[in-house]
Amino acid sequence: MDNILGTNLDRIVILAYFAIVMGFGAYFGKYSKTTSDYFFGGRRFAWWLITISIVATGIGSHSFVKYSTKAYQYGFSSTMTYMNDWFFMPLFLFGWLPIIYYLRLGSIPEYFERRFSREARYIATFMILMYMIGYIAIQFLTLATALYKIYGIPLMLTVILIAIATTIYMHFGGQTSVIFTDLIQGFILIFAGLLLFYLGLNFLVDNTSYASGLKALWENLTPAEKLPLANFNSPPDFNFVGIFWQDGIAGSIGFLFLNQGLIMRFMAARSVNEGRKAAAFNVLVILPVSAIVVSNAGWIGKAIANSIPGALPIDLAPNDVFVSVANLITSPGVFGFIIAALCAALMSTSDTLVNASSSVIINDIYRPLTKNKASDEEQLKLARLASVLVKVIAVCLVPFFNSFDSIYEAHGWFHSTFTPPLVVGVFLGIFWRRFTSTAVIATFVVGAFLMILGQVYPSLISPFSHGIEFRPGRGYSYIGALYNLVVCAGVGVIVTLFTKPNPNKNLTGLTVFDVHKLKNIFKGSDVNELTGKPVIVNYEIKDLKEDMVSFSEDDMKIANAKKGDLVYIQDSRWWLGGLKSIHATYDTPHKEDGIVYISQKQCDSGMFINGLSLKAEKEM
Amino acid sequence: MSFYQTWLPFIYLYGIGGVSFLLGTFLIFRTGALRVNDPVHKKWVWVLFYGYFFYAFIHALFIYLAIESV
Repeated sequence: MDNILGTNLDRIVILAYFAIVMGFGAYFGKYSKTTSDYFFGGRRFAWWLITISIVATGIGSHSFVKYSTKAYQYGFSSTMTYMNDWFFMPLFLFGWLPIIYYLRLGSIPEYFERRFSREARYIATFMILMYMIGYIAIQFLTLATALYKIYGIPLMLTVILIAIATTIYMHFGGQTSVIFTDLIQGFILIFAGLLLFYLGLNFLVDNTSYASGLKALWENLTPAEKLPLANFNSPPDFNFVGIFWQDGIAGSIGFLFLNQGLIMRFMAARSVNEGRKAAAFNVLVILPVSAIVVSNAGWIGKAIANSIPGALPIDLAPNDVFVSVANLITSPGVFGFIIAALCAALMSTSDTLVNASSSVIINDIYRPLTKNKASDEEQLKLARLASVLVKVIAVCLVPFFNSFDSIYEAHGWFHSTFTPPLVVGVFLGIFWRRFTSTAVIATFVVGAFLMILGQVYPSLISPFSHGIEFRPGRGYSYIGALYNLVVCAGVGVIVTLFTKPNPNKNLTGLTVFDVHKLKNIFKGSDVNELTGKPVIVNYEIKDLKEDMVSFSEDDMKIANAKKGDLVYIQDSRWWLGGLKSIHATYDTPHKEDGIVYISQKQCDSGMFINGLSLKAEKEM
Repeated sequence: MSFYQTWLPFIYLYGIGGVSFLLGTFLIFRTGALRVNDPVHKKWVWVLFYGYFFYAFIHALFIYLAIESV
């Protein structure tokens, strides 16, 4: 093992970090009492809490390595993929988000069954599981690539140790554990990335004639490296038009509409509007900051290479940029902390994906096959077992991904192969009522066949290439996504035009055309749209009907609520973000102002503390 | 620096992206998913358009600064 990086202090910092995170996750695991809690966090969290936990989902450990590489090679255009997600936000915020939330969809494949057929669900389940497990394998490989250089132990042994470590707290936790672990992970990721940027700018000031770090960075990049978008169609391994179709179109739709991990975060929000706030803040604020966090090591490295000859090796391997630059500009201990942030990214992304995968296994394979006969407790045990199984398969896939030239290429192959059929299926399903079950299955099967044909005969992709140079033996890297989208959509449209929709299929609430009816479907009766004010109350335990709570007549007037309306009750301390909360229904009012009657079961579920006030808001 | 490096990617991104954005906004408006007479939804219309122009401004600014630094 040559070129071992870091010091003993760094190794201790990394191990201590792992121990703290696992303890934190296991502690919050006690808040998971049912499979609904385990998978969705009980639909109770405030938007800001969801937003912070999303940070760690958007930045994977591969992100630091991958984007630092491209930032080192091409400058600011490495941020392209983080800054092209806004175009589909209208359809996501007002089309897809209300559909998944109000229909209480457990998973993406469940949508395929309700919108199309059981066969469509099983094919979608297979494709999504393959996608997520492969993604987890890439995460494991990336972190192992960084860690084995620091600890000097073999790559595959490092992969296995990482898989075991992440299993420990996921095993005792679930989505609530994931959300709260990701809270500290999110803060640490942003902090570590910005700390690295600050240290890098200081390094430039100390080693160049400039008084300002930002000035030194700007002046030591070439004009082409300052451009925020890559060259239109060259070079073949990093060009604007290919990445636009692969990431800006297929990737953005995949990220917003098909990312099971992200969808589970939004399902944990206490309302659709809180989910909208989290999504908008994520794309407008968190993603641009994340772009700086994951890319800056490459920019700093390039400025150092341009201004301080010999500081970095001339033959620096692309995948080593992040670790080498971090090692150069940080002191012992701080380097360990930065690598621990890489661990944070891995654990956050992989725990979200593992949890999402076990959700798909339970909701889309086990429940339909057993006709939902197993108890909630048995399903919870199986969910934990499924998460272990997912990791074992992911570890077995690592050698396959390690055979690619780089992690960037492995990831690119992945995205362009697995997202287009699903993207077309879900997109046409939501926005075209005529789209039939036969057509969606044809999109998956025939579309996949045509995609493979495109890989074997690249001349099929040439008409879509926008002048990108063809590399013999390596094909088209990114623009293949445009070909894949066109053939999948083409198959879907043509088959739909030649088949008839099932007249007995009830599509109510499953397309964008019914979004305005979703609240009524969710509530089961007419919606009370009158706006009211929240009320602060204390609680008394009473023997009440299932899910009912009782307020005073005056308190219901303040909230503008009627019997049968839905109410959200939470601990009045805002900083808990909804961790201690319940959803319930207004029952017949009583006469005691400032008091809400709740059952012992509701009190236990909300973990309310005697003597501390509650805040109640009418939902609809 | 050539047009292929500077403004062509910008025009392509905000042209095709803009068409997708406007079609999406029109669709949710036409289907009643977005109701402009609802005060909460009205605020979201502003947020949606703010997001589009925010990113366009950032990208245009950096392209301009990069060209100026030649």
